[in-house]
This record gives sequence, structure tokens and C-alpha cells, in this order.
Amino acid sequence: MQEDALWYEAAFVVGMTNALNVVADALAPQPGITLVAPVEASHADPKTAALFAEIRTFYASEEVPLPFRLMAHDAAYLAELWQAVQRAFSEQHLTRRVKEALAFAVSVTSRSAFGTAFHLAEMRRLGVSEGGVMEVLGVTQMFSSYTKIADTLQLEPDMHHIAPVDWSPAPGGRSSAP
Amino acid sequence: MPTVRLREMAEYPEMAQKMLALSKEWFQYDFHQPPAMSRVMAWDPAFGGPHGRAMKRAAMPGEFSRAEKEMVAALVSGVNACAY
Repeated sequence: MQEDALWYEAAFVVGMTNALNVVADALAPQPGITLVAPVEASHADPKTAALFAEIRTFYASEEVPLPFRLMAHDAAYLAELWQAVQRAFSEQHLTRRVKEALAFAVSVTSRSAFGTAFHLAEMRRLGVSEGGVMEVLGVTQMFSSYTKIADTLQLEPDMHHIAPVDWSPAPGGRSSAP
Repeated sequence: MPTVRLREMAEYPEMAQKMLALSKEWFQYDFHQPPAMSRVMAWDPAFGGPHGRAMKRAAMPGEFSRAEKEMVAALVSGVNACAY
């Protein structure tokens, strides 16, 4: 995990996971309360319907996940959001399976009911066993402990120097390594 | 600044020093002093021992690699806004 490219990808996964979770958790319809009505596929305009079809294919699902349907009232916005999500979760330096595991850990940590269930289902769909789920949960739980102990005692970072610096340039750019 | 004084390795009893020596092995890095968190956990081996073993069990290679799990840990720390 020494290449920065891995960490950029992981950060984008965290960002988009949180972006989807905040909308889904805040606006999930409750019995008798619908703050923003999710767009139903049967009522979608052609552009939105085409995006819904891409989303269903990406997740190999009959359903379009709630946050996309909530944001589908503006098809142009949904198109950009979907491109960003798809890029963040597509297999590049990190596998999609690992990205879903990261998104699951982030969702558990941020207490997102939507994200926890969604990314757990995605992990399982991509072949992660119950043992694998427990591995991710164990690390998530233990580091939820370490971080709070560190914060309580206001520990200062003392391990950042052990990681080597990646002097490779940005994608397509030129190196400025010393 | 830490709210407690972090003791140097030499200030710990022998049993705790053995625990601290393991951190060098775990991180595969020759620390001048063990990391602050290792020294905190060695304060009470009855707590730090099982906590550390649970962490090592969760972090050891399995369906996911150790490196992938370190990334999970880093992201969990980031979401918790923990600079350490």
C-alpha cells in the first residue's frame, strides 16, 4: 500500500460513500413521512431511465439504490453524481471487492444504516464470506477503540515517518522528484 | 500535547517491555521508542494484552490482506477524525 494512487482511490471511495449515505439516511421515507420522494423507474424521463439502467447494471440489481433515486429529480446532476460514484467504485488500483469493504467500514463507523446494509450486501454479492465480513468488522471495531483512546489522551502522530514517500507524478504528469 | 506523560520503554516492568518489543515486530520498524499507542496499551497489560491480541487477530491476513486491513484501519481513523 505504498503507492499514493491507492490512497487517492480510497479517499474517493470514502467521499462518495459518505455522499450517498448522508442523502439516503437523512431522506429515507419513513411511514407517513416522505421529505423527498424517490423517483420511481416507471416514472423516470428517458435520460433518467437510461442512467437507472446503468446503475442497475453496475450493481447487478433490479433496484436502483435509494440515494440515486432521491437525486434523480435533476437528471443532469444525477448523471454527474453517477459518473463520480462509478469511477470511485470501479476497479483500478484497488479491487471493487476491497472498495466495498472500505465503504462498509466507513458506513459502520459513521453509523449509516443505509450504507452499512448497502455495502454489506455489495461485499457479499462480490464474494466476501461471513469470515471476511468479520475481518473487516473486527478491524473497524478495534480502530474505533484505538482512535478514541488516542483522542482522549490527545496523542500526537508518531508513526507517519515510517511510510516511504511516493515521488511518482500525478497521472499523466511529470515527476518532480528531488 | 498528550494529557498524560508517555513513559519511556525502560520505565515499564519487564512483562510490559516484552509487549512493547512486539510492536517492533508487528510494524517491522526499529523504533527509537515504541509508538505512543503501544506505550499507552502497555500501561495496563490486563487491558492492552487482550485488546492487542483482538486487533492482531482481526488484522492478520485472511480473506483480506494485512495491507488491505491497514487501509480499512486508516479510513476508520479518518472518519473518526483521529489525527494519531
